[in-house]
Amino acid sequence: MLLDFDRLGAWKWVLVTITALVSLFLLLPIVFIAALSFGNSQWLIFPPPGWTLRWYRDLFADPRWLEAAWTSARIAIAVTVLSVVLGLFASLALTRGNFRGREVLRAFFVTPMILPVVVLAVALYAFFLKIGLNGTFLGFILAHLVLALPFSVISISNALEGFDKSIEDAAILCGASPWEARFRVTLPAISHGLFAAAIFSFLVSWDEVVVAIFMASPTLQTLPVKIWTTLRQDLTPVIAAASTLLVLFTIALMLLAALVRKGMKK
Amino acid sequence: MTTPFLQIRNIRKAYGDVTAVNDVTLDIAQGEFMTFLGPSGSGKSTTLYILAGLQNPTSGDILLDGRTLLDTPPHKRNIGMVFQRYTLFPHLSVGENIAFPLRVRRKPKAEVDAAVRRALKLVRLEGFEDRMPAKMSGGQQQRVALARALAYDPPVLLMDEPLSALDKKLREEIQYEIRRIHQETGVTILYVTHDQEEALRLSDRIAVFSKGVIDQVGTGTELYANPATRFVAEFIGDSDFLKGRIEATDGKSADIRIGEHLILPAVSVHGSARPGNEAAVMLRPERLTLSSTPVSTAGSLAATVKDVTFLGNNTHVLTETATQEVLSVRLPFGHEAAGSLRPGQPVWVSWDSSSAHAFCT
Amino acid sequence: MSAVTETTAAGNSERARGTSGWAYALPALLLLLIFFVVPVVGLLLRSVLEPEPGLGNYATLFGSSTYLRIFLNTFMVSAVVTALSVVIGFPVAWMLAIMPSRWASVVFAILLLSMWTNLLARTYAWMVLLQRTGVINKTLMNLGLIDQPLALVNNLVGVTIGMTYIMLPFVILPLRGVIKAIDPAILQAASLCGATRWQCLTRVLIPLALPGVAAGALMVFVMSLGYFVTPALLGGTANMMLAEMIAQFVQSLVNWGMGGAAAFVLLVVTLCIYGIQLRLFGAGRLGQGA
Repeated sequence: MLLDFDRLGAWKWVLVTITALVSLFLLLPIVFIAALSFGNSQWLIFPPPGWTLRWYRDLFADPRWLEAAWTSARIAIAVTVLSVVLGLFASLALTRGNFRGREVLRAFFVTPMILPVVVLAVALYAFFLKIGLNGTFLGFILAHLVLALPFSVISISNALEGFDKSIEDAAILCGASPWEARFRVTLPAISHGLFAAAIFSFLVSWDEVVVAIFMASPTLQTLPVKIWTTLRQDLTPVIAAASTLLVLFTIALMLLAALVRKGMKK
Repeated sequence: MTTPFLQIRNIRKAYGDVTAVNDVTLDIAQGEFMTFLGPSGSGKSTTLYILAGLQNPTSGDILLDGRTLLDTPPHKRNIGMVFQRYTLFPHLSVGENIAFPLRVRRKPKAEVDAAVRRALKLVRLEGFEDRMPAKMSGGQQQRVALARALAYDPPVLLMDEPLSALDKKLREEIQYEIRRIHQETGVTILYVTHDQEEALRLSDRIAVFSKGVIDQVGTGTELYANPATRFVAEFIGDSDFLKGRIEATDGKSADIRIGEHLILPAVSVHGSARPGNEAAVMLRPERLTLSSTPVSTAGSLAATVKDVTFLGNNTHVLTETATQEVLSVRLPFGHEAAGSLRPGQPVWVSWDSSSAHAFCT
Repeated sequence: MSAVTETTAAGNSERARGTSGWAYALPALLLLLIFFVVPVVGLLLRSVLEPEPGLGNYATLFGSSTYLRIFLNTFMVSAVVTALSVVIGFPVAWMLAIMPSRWASVVFAILLLSMWTNLLARTYAWMVLLQRTGVINKTLMNLGLIDQPLALVNNLVGVTIGMTYIMLPFVILPLRGVIKAIDPAILQAASLCGATRWQCLTRVLIPLALPGVAAGALMVFVMSLGYFVTPALLGGTANMMLAEMIAQFVQSLVNWGMGGAAAFVLLVVTLCIYGIQLRLFGAGRLGQGA
């Protein structure tokens, strides 16, 4: 009865109300920010006394914002590519390999995901100071790659485990070389896993704040670092404008993911 | 006249345009073992769920001892139920599962313990109190579910295909257990199944469901000997059908013409019987015999043997009449003709006309 | 569960353990060894080597009431956030599991949007909403519920609200899966056995969902312990939490020894809680964070 929505009786409305309120609680901040980014109040008064596009103009007029976004994008794309490639090979080892300690290795690959990021950030900061990678493009990529790899390994391993290897064997029996079989049969079959790995890796890098705060230099900073440093000074509506654009970007990515999922079902 | 114990009155259940149960009415006596038999989607389970209060009827009424049950929520109906799937509470031990109905009724501990012991004894699982459901076989789990449903002495026990997930041998074993428990406790049981053999083995009476209505209610023998509809005839036991036309009828029986020359006299007829109407004549394969010469002019048909299969206690012979109708015949082991039959051989198929039934559409 | 175990067991028995295939893992393994293991171990070593070898840093950390208050703050906020997330998240997860799919997909989309939106954007939103002149204070004052604006930001109240906001999806999503996996017939059976709705909830549904609740709660608790951004922005300097303290030791004080020691404490607590989780529920649930 409790698991039949139509037979919850009076409870149904209490529970639906709670769900609606929580949904609003989750949605409202995002909506408010979007509204405020068009308001003309420097002090973020709501409802705004008037509407303006000034904060968006300010945002695009400041080359440091664009530069930070460009830096973030380049780093995130590099991380995505490396993370999927490394993740694919690691997943092949984890699902197809037969060697001692495979389960230990699997657990090890996931560890960066469950450790507090601040520990890794401080540790990498110290390490990069020593070897001169701090504040460099390569340093950012390596640090974010460590954080993104677990997501890649999980997504691709799951997809590989759901793929029946005998199909690949059948391709080989049909005359394909082992590598040809992998490229033509296995890769297309696990493409949803590869895609998920790519999206997760991109987002991990694109949104990453903590490591970036430590690694950033005055000449190289990512978008989250730029938001962070601006936030520490004041709550200017320019951040609302930047945040709104980020939310739109997120929605676009979600729609893309949904479309790809739908396309794959067909 | 006394009120029937449990009355189902004109129950209808519709989901949008689909009518799952259409005007079902049935009386059940106290202590009776009543089975709802029918294929999936025939409305038998829905009727049971309405009795349990797990679904509400679109219209109609359910009365227990003359009082309506519909305004009583399921947890106050005091009805026991065993489901198709194993519904033991996985976080509770066997003993705690059986104690659950008594605990929620806030019974004193001594009474709970006594009831658990009694219920376990009833299903012959003494000593299993502390076992967790996940560590038991499917058959054992359903026996615990039965014990749990009976622990609070409900006047009515509902069972929704409780054995369908078990293999055949285990199923038969538990069927006998259920019969024994019915006899020991005297509880009224409503049992849903799609397995005719199970229905025949267990029930006092069987209600045959088809497309949301009850086609016929009766004992197994009645249903088999006197099926009211072609569906009942087909669903219970094996059957052969011959196409015919009604020559003359008094509404209860009819003379039916089969092919050119044969007229079957006084066949009991069901449905709208009018002279000239088409009728399907049902024969039971085990009431047919084979011979090289016609036995009687009113009950024999010339045919050709198509296939012979030896099945142990009987031999299954497939024959085809001159009008291309297929009749299957079951000859008991040791029948004189069985050994010498070959495909292609001409034979006479004969029957006792009292065993024939005709159905008009 | 049993099906999963069976296939794994079958897979293992088919191939004998050897050494083939491990080379594919080499690039990822090297990356993690050099840029994960070496730095973390290096940091931990510094905690016992700097400024001089010994456990002096740990003695200072546990001997000072300032640091102990930070530990206490961190544990308290994490516990409250966890409790709130579970209490608020349970009914939502429950509804999400059984609602008509049209509604459920709307709630689901909101959950995903909130989860995927940039963390700083979300935290900024709460800074604006919770400030003295913010929407929440103004609404409450207009409704006549308060005379003075409440201090909702730069204190632990703000941190708790902001963190609960972020953690809710991490409870709701796995819990929804657990509730969806429960056979509704078990609840029907409980009802027919005579249990009222409330008894069905407390004696059957909640106990059956408990593994999901515990897994979600442990995950939220451990994530909260090490959270940096939200406490730093919503908590203000007076109400520091553990992650912020680690950052301060390193960035402002350039005290690598103390920073390493605090990091080590956080690391050990985190690993212990994950150990408990593994013990309780097996490895299967670890990946659910993804």
